[in-house]
Amino acid sequence: MELKDKLEILADAAKYDASCASSGAPRRDSVDKDGLGATNGMGICHSYTPDGRCVSLLKILLTNFCVYDCQYCVNRRTSNVPRARFSVDEVVKLTRDFYLRNYIDGLFLSSGIIQSSDYTMEQLVEVARRLREEHQFRGYIHLKTIPDADPRLIELAGRYADRLSVNIELPTQDSVTKLAPEKNVHTIKLAMGSIRTKLDEKDDHPKAPTFAPAGQSTQMIVGADASDDQTILNTAQTLYGSYKLKRVYYSAFSPIPQSPSSVPSAPPPLLREHRLYQADFLLRGYGFTAKELMPQAGNLALDIDPKLGWALANRDHFPLDLNRADESMIARVPGIGLRTAKRLIDLRRLRRIRWEDLSRLRCSLKKLAPFVITADYRPAQGAASTDLLRRNLADAPQQMNLWPELQAA
Amino acid sequence: MTADALVRTGQPVLVETFAEWREAARELLVHGIPPDQVTWGAPHMGDLLAGGDLFTGAPAAAGAPHNPSIPPTEPLHPAPHIPRSLMEMLQSAACCRVPDRWAFLYRVIWRWQQGEHDVQSPADEDGARLHAMVKAVHREEHDMHAYIRFRERPEEAGPPRFVAWYEPRHDVLPQVAEHFISRMGKVSWMIATPEASVLWDGQTLHNTGPLVRDAADLEDTGEALWLTYYRSVFNPARLNTNVMHQHIQSDRWKNLPEAKIVPHMVSEAALGARKVGQYEAVGQRKGTTIPIAPEDAQPERQQPSKLDECRRCELWQFATQAVGGEGPRRAKIMFVGEQPGDQEDLAGQPFVGPAGKLLDRVCEAAGVDRDTIYVTNAVKHFKWEPRGKRRLHKTPVQREIEACHYWLDKELASVKPTVIVALGATALKSVLRTANVTLKNSLGKPLRHEGHWVVTTYHPSYVLRVPGEEAKREAFNTMVEGLKLAHELLERPVDVPDA
Ligand code: SF4
Repeated sequence: MELKDKLEILADAAKYDASCASSGAPRRDSVDKDGLGATNGMGICHSYTPDGRCVSLLKILLTNFCVYDCQYCVNRRTSNVPRARFSVDEVVKLTRDFYLRNYIDGLFLSSGIIQSSDYTMEQLVEVARRLREEHQFRGYIHLKTIPDADPRLIELAGRYADRLSVNIELPTQDSVTKLAPEKNVHTIKLAMGSIRTKLDEKDDHPKAPTFAPAGQSTQMIVGADASDDQTILNTAQTLYGSYKLKRVYYSAFSPIPQSPSSVPSAPPPLLREHRLYQADFLLRGYGFTAKELMPQAGNLALDIDPKLGWALANRDHFPLDLNRADESMIARVPGIGLRTAKRLIDLRRLRRIRWEDLSRLRCSLKKLAPFVITADYRPAQGAASTDLLRRNLADAPQQMNLWPELQAA
Repeated sequence: MTADALVRTGQPVLVETFAEWREAARELLVHGIPPDQVTWGAPHMGDLLAGGDLFTGAPAAAGAPHNPSIPPTEPLHPAPHIPRSLMEMLQSAACCRVPDRWAFLYRVIWRWQQGEHDVQSPADEDGARLHAMVKAVHREEHDMHAYIRFRERPEEAGPPRFVAWYEPRHDVLPQVAEHFISRMGKVSWMIATPEASVLWDGQTLHNTGPLVRDAADLEDTGEALWLTYYRSVFNPARLNTNVMHQHIQSDRWKNLPEAKIVPHMVSEAALGARKVGQYEAVGQRKGTTIPIAPEDAQPERQQPSKLDECRRCELWQFATQAVGGEGPRRAKIMFVGEQPGDQEDLAGQPFVGPAGKLLDRVCEAAGVDRDTIYVTNAVKHFKWEPRGKRRLHKTPVQREIEACHYWLDKELASVKPTVIVALGATALKSVLRTANVTLKNSLGKPLRHEGHWVVTTYHPSYVLRVPGEEAKREAFNTMVEGLKLAHELLERPVDVPDA
């Protein structure tokens, strides 16, 4: 099989993994050095495909042969898909060729499970080793970790890779047992735990060999099982707290050819995935807890974003005086982000904040109007009922912006 | 003539680079000349733009083409009282191609000098424009980092091995060249633009003057692989072209090779490939299932212990693993702590974190060999609540203590210790099976309970946590006394009736 054919199959098979970030690596460059590649910590998206997702890494599987039978996965052993396998050299060459032409920032390498977990992991590690040691490649490398692999292999992977990830796949143990019979939440958590232990060691002993400097991430598939958003966010919160994950990626289940009957035949609304990303961002960036965002079982509202949802459910905090409130509360006002909150605090040191400042800072005035007080503005007394507000502030139906969250870290 | 003299004789101040502007602005500021009295202009550039030699890599001849977009590298001296953050913004904004850039920058710096420091805030009108200019320049740098496409030239042709064409909106080529130098190492390349071009021969950067687009039109077979990749990573089931266009502005597409195949991909997706995520060309290939029996596919893993499968309360859900006790099977002393902590949860062993280290020290001080002691916890799963991105220990409630007592009972039955040392209130409640005991009333008073001696002392975390050196020392000593007491009790009979 020609390289082009393999690429076709093994890129197609890898696209269900939502992770695409190439950020968080330490600064490296190749000035006056043999070899290739630089990272500046930020990561770059080099293109976008018509599904709105960015291309930042060469994202491929080493092989899509797989002995597992995960029901949501196009490569499960009972799936009738064309199969292919790259050699280690082929992946190395593709990565370098793409990198030199400025198509990508590095490599994201995953694989079906062949022979055994250890054997598969060894192959992944070998690609990274050859890139780093033989070709002095300093671009970004993200390796998908096989949970059951020997911790020593995971340690080796962390030596070469900027980021490691272990996919939790589904939000509950029951769902994993049902839909991914060969996987096991327990071993997945243990693998994440061993990565975290290594990351901690590196933090405590800066002289220790590098270990996955861009941290670890995971992915959860949304809509392949019956779990609701409350369950999903609770799981995300547990994972963030326990394993110091950089990111949890949410991937709306994509119907696959000849889907087994154990998974739904239609995808969940993509907007649901989008709301989960927004809620996740509030967990990571704004100090919200899952319980604040989802006090009850069920799914996030689709018509309003989760921050607005929280503000409408907690109107006793509002209207908030922007000339007095502290930064973290200001950032909780719908229509005001972290950066604007900081800028308001800076400005407040010079003078009092006025309504016009909010418009210059390009806040969404309509959204924040019922929630703030400035030197020259306060919302009408006995302001509108929550229902009315909600109707006024709900997102206009539109093509939503699905992926920008994926670019950040 | 100095800038100040030019203004006084009514002539425009001609500047071309940020460094020149900076010199002139300093001069004008020192003389207190307000912005509305200065006319700024650029020297006529036509003659300066003579082209360099495209591929020979020869450095531009001496004295010849000065590239307008590349500032001289001599060190810049800071202007008076201008903070670095503002200077950096001005420097970036100077790359923005707007006709009045020098005049505008001067106004900003003038206002700052007058004490109007909110000129730097985006809430100020000039500040907003400054921020917008900086943002436009940064965006242009970013786009150029992202969307330049190099094509490979044949090895025999010599340097540059890779050539790219780009049409930047702002004067960012110098910064961008730095980026590619750090990325490409000793590989040679060239970036051509309508205004200026740069060539990196692997060691030195040369300015080679403006070029026309055709110069960079090369055949590169590597591009076909890229298009294959681009097509295959696209998921037709999620077609969402708006987002794609939002990210890459339309005039950027024309130099991207993938732009040619986008319309076809979109119409194909809309026509049916949309139902499933697979790219059509892959879907049409012959497929294979993997003939392997489910039993053989199961990875070999250590069987989780029964304890790990415990669902007697909810705590298991949020923990990594259950942490059982550890120590000699027939230990005479058993330590019972509260519950595993963050570290124990990851390691799967009791008392390996800071509290464990402290416990070691207590044992040492009491002259008790820790290796002879069985160590366990009242509750086997880590209970915590999120605090930012950390796990904050949370005390188990009576219901959870009772649920987990099942496991402690098993341990007691198999180890049969003579003395149980309850570390802290939770442990005490668990051992005595009642919520109606307090640590304070039990400290230092051994009791007999169901055939064991029970000694109560602090939990090592308390020693770590209690504020004040004095209190810490006291708590530590209390623990040491407790242990000594436990050791002495080994000699005393317990089979007298419970108190
Ligand atoms: S804490 Fe104890 S009772 Fe609760 S699930 Fe864990 S082992 Fe079972």
